[in-house]
Amino acid sequence: MLTGHAPDDLDKALAACAKGDRTALRGIFDREAGRLVAVAERIVRRRDLAEEVVQDAFIRIWTHAHQYDPTRGSARGWIYAIVRNRALNLLRDGKREHTVEEVDALRESEQVNEVIAAWRKLDRNSLLHDCLGALDETKRHGILMAYVGGYSHGEIAGRLRIPLGTAKSWIRRGLASLRECMA
Amino acid sequence: MTYDRNDTPGTADEYVLGLLDPRDAAEVEVEMERDADLKAAIAASRERFLPLDTSMEPAAISEGLWRRIEAALPVQSKSIEKMPPTRPANDNRRGWRMTALLAIAATIALAIGLAASLMRIQEPLVIAVLLNDAGEVQAVVEDFGSEKAVVRMLADFDVPSDKTIQVWTLPSRETGPVSLGLIDGIHSATLDGPVLPTPQRDQLYEITLEQAGGSPTGLPTGPILAKGFAKLPR
Repeated sequence: MLTGHAPDDLDKALAACAKGDRTALRGIFDREAGRLVAVAERIVRRRDLAEEVVQDAFIRIWTHAHQYDPTRGSARGWIYAIVRNRALNLLRDGKREHTVEEVDALRESEQVNEVIAAWRKLDRNSLLHDCLGALDETKRHGILMAYVGGYSHGEIAGRLRIPLGTAKSWIRRGLASLRECMA
Repeated sequence: MTYDRNDTPGTADEYVLGLLDPRDAAEVEVEMERDADLKAAIAASRERFLPLDTSMEPAAISEGLWRRIEAALPVQSKSIEKMPPTRPANDNRRGWRMTALLAIAATIALAIGLAASLMRIQEPLVIAVLLNDAGEVQAVVEDFGSEKAVVRMLADFDVPSDKTIQVWTLPSRETGPVSLGLIDGIHSATLDGPVLPTPQRDQLYEITLEQAGGSPTGLPTGPILAKGFAKLPR
């Protein structure tokens, strides 16, 4: 199973990075850094940390560009995954320096709006929009909280006021429905 | 391992959503380098969810961010040469054990056939029978130690013109996988590998399909064609 896609400029830019072409990395930066900072900030919740994530991610993109394999997904997916992983690692390592209360307050007020907003910003004609819309609200929110906000199973269970085991199995079932819907 | 190995698409989704605990996520990252289905499932999952990221409004970016990135960039060619082995190559212990059991059976059968060749003056220190995922014998590696190994190809491989077969061994988990050499085309070959500790019983040998000229990272990156554990000739 390969996720075939047409080669695009980002593919070429990664290949050029692997050969040591800094202008190619700059091209990726110009094109994607703004959105990548926004994606990271949605997870780590602080602009300075989000920039740190993106800075580290670009160095990794540079040093690992030769490992990008176009037969295994798009260059954009590969680049965003690097940023997402670094943001999640920062979150899990507990380096985000908010107090628990601050985080709770931030998350409580922003969580639902933010995940719903992310879903609403999707192209109305896209399969992901429709298939997320076809899920029960709880499953949809759980999946969006994890992907968009970097929430753990435990945080999702707490926010949705359901037992941890229930949260895990609902999300798992929601993900399976989503795969089926998008297949 | 707490995640479900039988649910690759589910595991891939949970990995992409960041829902696996850190230990499982680390195992998935090792495993995906060896398991093409898992790697493909993760790529597919990333593509499914990617619009949630790409539909975001970009943040305003200062030139300072680029300057910080640029100041920290290593020189590319050196960065590849210096790249340390970042992942243990032999984390899939259960998988290897299964292969080992199959290899034992195959080794016994082959040892009889190899008896004649063992009459030679110089004997290999170890012999590894390499099997594919289906348990079929694909190649035999005879490691003579002292930087010399012979690989005998016992099956036909489909090697595209821009690819090459590379032979690897794992002297220890600390060392990580080490290349014994490339096979030009599909035939048996004598390899002059690097200086390594004396090969041991149960040492892992494998052949992978790499880009022409060999793996760019110095570690196996391509699909594993066959693998097996060393046995001592009696």
